[in-house]
Amino acid sequence: MAAVTLTNVIKRFGSFEVVHGANIDIADGEFVVFVGPSGCGKSTLLRMIAGLEDISGGDIAIGGKVMNDVEAADRGIAMVFQSYALYPHMTVEQNLSFGLRMNGNPKADTDRRVKRAAEILRIDELMQRRPKQLSGGQRQRVAIGRAIVREPQVFLFDEPLSNLDAELRVQMRVEISRLHKELGVTMIYVTHDQTEAMTLADRIVVLKAGNVEQIGAPLDLYDDPANRFVAGFIGSPKMNFLSAKVVDTSNSAAIIELVNHGGARLRKPLRDAFPAIGAEIVLGVRPEHFFEVGEGDCDIPVKADVAEHLGSVSYVYANAGPEELIVEREASRQRAGGDHFTVSIKAERSLLFDKSGARIR
Amino acid sequence: MRTQNATAYRFLTPYLLIFVVFWIWPIISSFLISFQATRTVPWRFAPAFNWGRLIGDPAFYNALKNTLLILVIQVPVMIALAIGMAVLLNSPLLKARGLYRFAFFAPVVVGEVAYSAVFRLMFSLDFGIVNKLLNSIGLPKVDWFSNVTPAMALIMIAVTWRWAGYNAIIILAGLQSIPEDVYEAATLDRVSKVKQFFHITLPLLKPVIVFCAVLSIIGTMQLFTEPFLITERGGPGGGTETLGLLLYRQGFRSLNFGYASAVAYTMAGLAIAITLVQLWLMREPK
Repeated sequence: MAAVTLTNVIKRFGSFEVVHGANIDIADGEFVVFVGPSGCGKSTLLRMIAGLEDISGGDIAIGGKVMNDVEAADRGIAMVFQSYALYPHMTVEQNLSFGLRMNGNPKADTDRRVKRAAEILRIDELMQRRPKQLSGGQRQRVAIGRAIVREPQVFLFDEPLSNLDAELRVQMRVEISRLHKELGVTMIYVTHDQTEAMTLADRIVVLKAGNVEQIGAPLDLYDDPANRFVAGFIGSPKMNFLSAKVVDTSNSAAIIELVNHGGARLRKPLRDAFPAIGAEIVLGVRPEHFFEVGEGDCDIPVKADVAEHLGSVSYVYANAGPEELIVEREASRQRAGGDHFTVSIKAERSLLFDKSGARIR
Repeated sequence: MRTQNATAYRFLTPYLLIFVVFWIWPIISSFLISFQATRTVPWRFAPAFNWGRLIGDPAFYNALKNTLLILVIQVPVMIALAIGMAVLLNSPLLKARGLYRFAFFAPVVVGEVAYSAVFRLMFSLDFGIVNKLLNSIGLPKVDWFSNVTPAMALIMIAVTWRWAGYNAIIILAGLQSIPEDVYEAATLDRVSKVKQFFHITLPLLKPVIVFCAVLSIIGTMQLFTEPFLITERGGPGGGTETLGLLLYRQGFRSLNFGYASAVAYTMAGLAIAITLVQLWLMREPK
């Protein structure tokens, strides 16, 4: 087991910089998820930790030892690839034992490790099959098994569930979580799926265009995002953003006007910063933070466009002027396209962002 | 549906007619001819005439021995070379990759007569660059055209030169279809590059290698150009005569079509048999 520390890690491909000085501390035994949209540099970061990509600047340390110039094989890590990367011509058993056999590991120890991995992942029945005879979920288990037999200090997962169907993904998510508890090893997991990030992580690292936007526990990111990008990326369905304007600031609060909602006003208490009167800002409200009319501090009338009924909750896609809002409702079964209704926003359950996307607290 | 099929077949008819007349019929016809005595007119049905002669003909056994010898030595050497060339072409360390790819493939598009003439010059006893090179490193000259063993070696060198690059390009396509992350996984498994080659690359290339081997076996069974043009009609003294050359000599020099057909069918039968054995040996385990 080992802690992983990234200090000012930079990656350039030619003159093009894709990771701009990442600083991340991952504690021993922690499960950290790198999440972000395509091209944000999360896989590159993971591959640099693995040693499959050179780093252009900064330091990567595993277990307190700087690994910049250490070969991938000697870093004490194991990686599970998105495409599984199983050896197609070998049986499951051979896939699991290949690395150990090639390195002259004693047979008894190899057998013990393979047996243990097979038991942990419940793939004992599949040992004599070849990858093409396995389902996607089974292949993924074998790929994880291959990582387990290495008994690594750090597990790296590169979007391991993205090739699986939705049901299997949920199942494997639980398995990976269980595995983390069972092995207690540091795990770094890359995904573009924020649900995976929220459900698996001890801490999430949100990345955008090669920059670390925020690091924190899932619910901390959800409740207290540092900026509009994190607020929009974490949470499903995503946060609603309403255009607004500051009309007054007084008594540690700003009075804002929702410009697309008939001049509806909201008094938002602020702690640190006070935007100038007239400044254009954005009010963020999560779908579940729209309340019944009169319950909040500001009511806005909307017109239902489409309603999605998921059973426990329903999401109403509503139009209000040029802005489309997603409203979560428990009792919206009766709502259908064309219905008019009013929602209410509570100041304490909303967030303010300036024009550049930075949070105003 | 039936009308649609009928219409399709009407459109196909011109092609099918040509196919039957110039492909199917000659195949059947030559099979029938192999059972006829064709030395005298009119030809007559005499099953033992050609096939019986074949069994006892020293010229046939000589050609068969030469063909199989070339097959057994040249094909494996060429495939091994082609694999080496493909790995080289696939290496990220190689500069001017396009140039090498062109150079390796170029022999296939060079005219057979031109290439044979160049080879005759290069291996000429007194003026050839090969003997001059041998001399320069203190080795004696080799009379490539007058002795059987050097002549056979020459044929093998020429065929290898001509087809190794072609096979390398096919194997390169196979190499490029192996996903990079399999190698990355092996690297993380602490498997050295050499072991990766023998335990991952070669097994995964097996279908492509089998394909190249089958193509080469079929090609070698029909080998004709090199012994005809380079060692002058299978010289010295039939020392490089192949089945293809024997067929040509019987069919088009002696106009003995019956015997030539029997040789042709033997060549095809052998090619099929060797290919089947090859496929069986290299079959995927269940």
